[in-house]
Amino acid sequence: MAERSVPSTWIGRGSFAALCLAIIFAMLLPLDMQPNRWAAPDVLLATILAWVIRRPEYASAVLLAVILLLTDLLFQRPPGLYAAVALVVTEMIRKRGGRMRQMPFLVEWGTAALGIVAITLINRMALVVFMTPQPPLGMSLIQMAMTILVYPVVIGVAVSLFGLRRRSPGETNAAGQRL
Amino acid sequence: MARDRNSEDYFKPVRRLLVGVMVVSLLGLFLVWRIDSPRVERFRLAVIDRVVPSMEWAMVPVTGFVNLVSDFRSYQALAAQNDDLRRELQQMKSWKEAALQLEQENARLLDLNNVQLDPQLTYVTGVVMTDSGSPFRQSVLLNVGARDGIVDGWAVMDGIGLVGRISGVGRKISRVILLTDTSSGIPVTIQPSGQKAILAGDNTLNPPLNFIEDRDLVRPGDRVVTSGDGGVFPTDLLVGQVALGTDRRMRVRLSADYGRLEFLRVLRSRPHEPITDPGGLLETDTMIGPQLPQTAEVTDG
Repeated sequence: MAERSVPSTWIGRGSFAALCLAIIFAMLLPLDMQPNRWAAPDVLLATILAWVIRRPEYASAVLLAVILLLTDLLFQRPPGLYAAVALVVTEMIRKRGGRMRQMPFLVEWGTAALGIVAITLINRMALVVFMTPQPPLGMSLIQMAMTILVYPVVIGVAVSLFGLRRRSPGETNAAGQRL
Repeated sequence: MARDRNSEDYFKPVRRLLVGVMVVSLLGLFLVWRIDSPRVERFRLAVIDRVVPSMEWAMVPVTGFVNLVSDFRSYQALAAQNDDLRRELQQMKSWKEAALQLEQENARLLDLNNVQLDPQLTYVTGVVMTDSGSPFRQSVLLNVGARDGIVDGWAVMDGIGLVGRISGVGRKISRVILLTDTSSGIPVTIQPSGQKAILAGDNTLNPPLNFIEDRDLVRPGDRVVTSGDGGVFPTDLLVGQVALGTDRRMRVRLSADYGRLEFLRVLRSRPHEPITDPGGLLETDTMIGPQLPQTAEVTDG
């Protein structure tokens, strides 16, 4: 992680941060002010999970915390709660990341889906416990399902644009360290 | 896992500690927000004030381009639209005649009554910068803020109807909670019956009317205007028309064009002057009207 101060790691982190900012930017564009019957997928969360599973060293915890807190503030969510929940869940996924390399893609998708479900449910339960106004349940569930469905699409785009292949076991980085 | 992790062995606990500290401080921020929300909301607005204007240079051309593309797509429907417009124009002509006659009548009546319309109701026009970015919140950011004299709670309209209310003012930006947001609730009057109700947003395009006094007096098609109760909004701003929803609830078809919120007017409303003293009529020494002669001030009994 941080001690691998190879320039390529920092380039990877920079491009991941830039990608996240671009997604936030796109979500903020004032294109559609009408309320919809369905909720669009949370592409940012899918992207973060994809990077945490496939390139955990680029999606460092500090960077994730900053980005998630920024989205909390920008998107009028209760500040800090969603960021904390998502950070904890990504840390748990990050721990399992090494073992997932040999598994088929379905396992990876399942892990991401579990993460998305966990984040949605824990966030909602905390909102109920603290008696904070919650978004409609149906909309949250739709968004959760859409985010799970959009995960393979995000992976496809990331593989073609950023070369986010899964690392084969025993692959090394530029400095010759095992990943 | 037979992997070379010597370099990470001493780093792992530090990392875990760092993550723990971050999670705890994030949760702490949430707790502080729950306890003392205005302070954190000010912090939120300060962050937005910093971040969003720096994105504007990119946001304006991208939004323009996307709108251009969607407009181009709508050219395909141009012929059909043209026919519709022609038909509507025919109807409009008859309405225009009616409006002209009403305008003249109205001017005559106003002249008779010597009515003074509120001269202090001026407005500041702002441009929509961003939307809320989340499907659960209905709000937009305007590019006018405290430096333009915007104050929390002022009403926001597009050219025709009420759009929402200012909620949160930064230095250069201000947030408008739209009428469709779940946290929006404004007192309205339904004309012509004069029934009072609360228009509460529920994340749909046609927000429902709650607490109608007598539902039988309200019909679909009635005009809905702000009532000015509570002193938040000026009275008689057009909101929309009553419509009967598919769930048999009275809903409002909003007059403002929510599909194209681009330029919005923030109405400068002055607070009502509060009446604090008990009033001259109740006290004997400060009599309103012609001063009575001193001899008339006899204690009756």
